[in-house]
Formats: sequence, C-alpha cells, structure tokens
Amino acid sequence: MRILAVCGMGLGSSLMLRMGVEKVLKAEGIEGTVEVSDVSSAKGEKADIIVAAPEIAEQLEGHSAKVVAIKNMADKNEIKEKIMEYIS
Amino acid sequence: MLLDLLPEERIATKVKAENWREVGRKVGEILLRDNLVEDRYIDAMIKSLEDNGPYIVMAKGVAIFHARPEDGVKKTGMSLITLDAPVEFGHESNDPVKVAFAFGSINNEQHVEAMSQLMTVLMEDESIDKIYAKDTSSEVFDYISQIISNN
Repeated sequence: MRILAVCGMGLGSSLMLRMGVEKVLKAEGIEGTVEVSDVSSAKGEKADIIVAAPEIAEQLEGHSAKVVAIKNMADKNEIKEKIMEYIS
Repeated sequence: MLLDLLPEERIATKVKAENWREVGRKVGEILLRDNLVEDRYIDAMIKSLEDNGPYIVMAKGVAIFHARPEDGVKKTGMSLITLDAPVEFGHESNDPVKVAFAFGSINNEQHVEAMSQLMTVLMEDESIDKIYAKDTSSEVFDYISQIISNN
C-alpha cells in the first residue's frame, strides 16, 4: 500500500496528513508507506491512495490513484473513515 | 522540536485582525521581527492562500501559514497568534479561525519533527479552543509544552 499525502508545496499540510494517516494505519494494523508530495509532482507519481485537502484533491481528479479529500486534518475519525473505504 | 522553533516570545495573544490577510500579515511579522524571514515571505504566504484556496485552515479554527524555503527564509522558525475575535477564511467546514501559526523552513526537512509535534497538539481534544482561551503567551506556551510531554 503506497499512500501519498499531497499539498500545494509538499511541506505543510502534507506533513500533517502523513502523520494522521500513519496513526490510522498503525491503529488498524495496516502495512503501508506514506510519502509527501507537492501537487504538481503528485500528478506524475504512482500510488494506491492520495490524501489531500479538498481544494488540492480537486486538482488531482483523474489520477490513477484513489483520491481522498480530508477536510479536518486533525480529525483521526475523518481520516480513518475515508481511507478505510479503500482498504479492505 | 516544536518548542525550539516556537519560543514563548514568538507567541502573541488577543491579536486584532479584520480579515485573513491581516491575520497572515500579523503572524508573519513575528518571523520578520526575529529576522527569520524577509518581508517578501509574508507576501508569499498570503499569495499561496490566494492561489490554492483556504486549505491552510487545516483543522477546526486553526490556520497554518507558510510559503517555500526560496520565498525568503533566513532561518527555520515558527510563530503563533491567538485572535482577539475569530476571523472567516472562507473554508467550507473549519471556519472561523481562532488561532494562526506561521512557519518558515530553510529546507524541506528541518521543520518535519516540529510539524509532527504540532499535529499532536492539534489532535488533542479541544486544544485550539483551550489555546484560544488563554490570556498570555506564557500560558499558551506552558499548555503546548504540557501536551507534548504527555505524548
């Protein structure tokens, strides 16, 4: 499982998202790596799931990865519910 | 580590700001005052929000301003203001903003650990409302230290 956490510059909210996703994966016992990227590089990268803020997720529509929009990055439940939909 | 980048002197409480641009300017001016960034960095932080939308309102009530290392960062650091009155940023679900952070990092690595601790602070239940309720910067600093040492 390769998850990409994406934001405009790849050094702010993507880092926060990476941490939130890592916590969820650990809690659920799921093997996976979470990497960060900026939105333009992310377009050329392969991943199973991309997590990003809604405005960024919109810019990644059509990506081969499942794109998941997270509104509140500090809300573990939101992250969990949205990514678990694609992991089973 | 978060508190090395965010000493008590870079925290200000009850800051008055009319709109999101003023919030960005005021939280950025603390970085400028401490000679961590050039003035153009503050403009770049504001422009980033204009370009990408209000997603820097990353969680309920909190905005995190930043731009890129090449936008005029001299030294890695962070600042925090609590607002006198909450400000609308136009975010669909996390408005209004009560607490704003700004950071500048000289590269893509130096602030990573601090951001991870910041996330721990944001994930703590009602931490933003509690920070917002503090009267002084030393109370805010002590509260953040407490969360970090408990995790």
